[in-house]
Amino acid sequence: MKGIGFRKKISEGIFDLFYIWKGELKTILKDQAILTFLVVLPIMYPLLYAFIYTNEVVREVPAVVVDKSNTPNSRKYIQLVNATPDVNIIAHCTDIPHAQKVLKERGAYGIIYIPEDFNKNLSTGKTTQITLFCDMSGLLYYKALVMANTAVSLDFNKDIRMKLSKSTTNRQAEISASPIKYEDVKLYNPTNGFASFLIPAVLILIIQQTLLLGIGTAAGTAREKHRFKDLIPVNKHYDGTLRIVFGKGLAYFMVYILLALYVVCVVPKIFTLPQIGAAGNLILFIVPYLAACIFFAMTCSAAIRNRETSMLIFVFTSIPLLFISGISWPGAAVPEFWKYVSYIFPSTFGINGYVRLSSMGASLNEVAFEYKALWIQTGVYFTSTCFVYRHQILIARKHIIQEYKSAKQRRATDKEL
Amino acid sequence: MTKNYQIGLGATIRREFKRLYSRPLYLFCMIIAPLFCTFFFTTLMADGLPSKLPIGAVDLDHSSTSRNLLRNLDAFQQVDIIQQFNSVQEAKNAMQRNEIYGFFYIPEDFASNAQSQRQPTLSFYTNDAFLIAGSLLFKNMKTMGEMASGSATLSVLLAKGLTKEQVQAVIMPISIDSRPLNNPWLNYSVYLSNTILPGILSLMVLMITVFSIGSELKENSSRQWLRTGNKSIFTALLGKLIPQTVIWLLVGGFILVYMYGYLSYPCNSGILPMFLAMTCLILASQGLAIFIYGVAPILRLALSAVSLWGVLSFSISGFSFPIMAMDPTLQVATDLFPLRHYFLIYVNSALNGYSIGYAWTNYAALLIFMLLPLLVLRRLKKVLIYFKHID
Repeated sequence: MKGIGFRKKISEGIFDLFYIWKGELKTILKDQAILTFLVVLPIMYPLLYAFIYTNEVVREVPAVVVDKSNTPNSRKYIQLVNATPDVNIIAHCTDIPHAQKVLKERGAYGIIYIPEDFNKNLSTGKTTQITLFCDMSGLLYYKALVMANTAVSLDFNKDIRMKLSKSTTNRQAEISASPIKYEDVKLYNPTNGFASFLIPAVLILIIQQTLLLGIGTAAGTAREKHRFKDLIPVNKHYDGTLRIVFGKGLAYFMVYILLALYVVCVVPKIFTLPQIGAAGNLILFIVPYLAACIFFAMTCSAAIRNRETSMLIFVFTSIPLLFISGISWPGAAVPEFWKYVSYIFPSTFGINGYVRLSSMGASLNEVAFEYKALWIQTGVYFTSTCFVYRHQILIARKHIIQEYKSAKQRRATDKEL
Repeated sequence: MTKNYQIGLGATIRREFKRLYSRPLYLFCMIIAPLFCTFFFTTLMADGLPSKLPIGAVDLDHSSTSRNLLRNLDAFQQVDIIQQFNSVQEAKNAMQRNEIYGFFYIPEDFASNAQSQRQPTLSFYTNDAFLIAGSLLFKNMKTMGEMASGSATLSVLLAKGLTKEQVQAVIMPISIDSRPLNNPWLNYSVYLSNTILPGILSLMVLMITVFSIGSELKENSSRQWLRTGNKSIFTALLGKLIPQTVIWLLVGGFILVYMYGYLSYPCNSGILPMFLAMTCLILASQGLAIFIYGVAPILRLALSAVSLWGVLSFSISGFSFPIMAMDPTLQVATDLFPLRHYFLIYVNSALNGYSIGYAWTNYAALLIFMLLPLLVLRRLKKVLIYFKHID
């Protein structure tokens, strides 16, 4: 007897699951707001961001020169700095106050100051110093100015050493000028570019944030539409927790797996971001990430009362979440407390895992920690979603029973009269 | 119908305070979220500059020279050699596991090659997928490479009989003394929080302004709101915005006092010009929000538009990635974002201490944002009277 009942319950559950799944898909496609968050935004936003950062690096940062030395040597130095791709010398000023005025008027971001005794010191075998004043409104300006000047001064130094070494052959001069060579290898972001570093993180974050917005909006809308302002409708198909959670989750997953593939595989190709990871690994990784995000968003959505409130609550979180993920501010420098807080969000593991898989060509083995963490999150947020929905079903049921009772009472009093 | 409404500006203000008080959402968006972010960003980057970034070393030389080199590198504030690897591949794998941000490679027979003038090559690998960490390491490792080369020259020249002073001049005839103006510590929190925090506040102002107007329509209370405002759209709007503005000013003022007072971030203009700038940012954001709602009086649409505006501000204001490196069309578009102007005012005043005169165009731009609602007042009144809320 019990066996048949159980089997019937299962088949009924599966039937309801697909009923709910179909309903949710319809909601996504018919509701403009939800469609915007769940489809349009994930398609357009990555393109917009990639467009903003498309140039990767800052070139030709404007700078002014105060050349007190005014000798062939100092002019050669300035020429070499100007020839670097990083710096563009826009003016020569007679003194510092003049140069400062250009900075104040936002004409330039740095002053290269060459002292009067520059040439004298060089020719008498003493050290000399070039001072570089940098406007700190943007660190990339500073970086460009320092890099260009350092590179030119090192070359200059090497030339001087070669001349001083009094060697007989060029090769010997070269060796005594720099007895040890060194080379720098920039891994995984050869242009040292801004887009290559930031966009992959933004792409992953967008998936989580649009899910939060979309599912939140769906929940808020459901509450506004339903009698008693409950999340769960009065409908016999919405009778079990598992069928609701699975039905809705499946609908989101199906829409998002396609979008996720577009976001993590196609967008980097369009903008030629470094991507050396295997596509298979990316897909294997994105599955638990999506699942974790969906259940996380479903849990959070229970707090949303209105159609519009998810925007007010979730939009601003993108900024802290990007920083806490350890991409821009290095993870090793994130304080202990915030590190643990960051474990709450799927985006932390998603971003860290994806960047290493995609940009750095790691295998799943190297991102095992993130991969496992995402599956654990999937489990935890699935459970929490079930609890939340169970609770919501009970509330909805209570409202129905109350309504039924009061209706009955009304009828009874009507009869008495 | 039975209730007699009080009308006028005062009554509208009282009405708005009641509305703000009645929904926890306002408390969250207007006070909790901005203050949380203030606390978050300033504690996240409390160190200013990341220190002790974990790196590795691949030492195939195993000589006293190579060990000495690594010890010197480890002494740098910003790096911490946490592990030795036997090969480049091993080190790369550790990088992929996120254990290290870079590593130093010393080839076989390094010391003996250097001594016999065969010019060996040191290599350093940085992970630039993490741009900040990669750049910092690059700087340290480059200095280290230069020092290694210099010390080898030093021993040769000393052997040739030059004095120490002469040797110094040979190794580094020209040195660069870089002076980062007004942020000599290269403090990232100074650099980022100063714009991110006002940016988050501005985002919240944009959204709440739109939401508070749009929800009147949604709750069918817009006519009653207008009646309370003596049927003048001007009074009604003013009455609605004054209570919000007071709260925003308090929160914005707190952020400034916290940054420039408590955390002593550079504020070379004194704090008063920054109060003025913050006030202008808040009012400009409110102006922009009303304008957008006036143009598209559908709550959901206007909210989407302002949140897009607010979020894009962070990229397009150019405080992390400079405007000059963006597409020319974007460079023009930056003027449409209040945060861009606030950022330039901040750089001009608090960071560099230049006179306000140099930033007058930015103040003028913010003023234009404040005046934008005038263009849509009439339309807005019509909307409030005749329009129905659209989902």
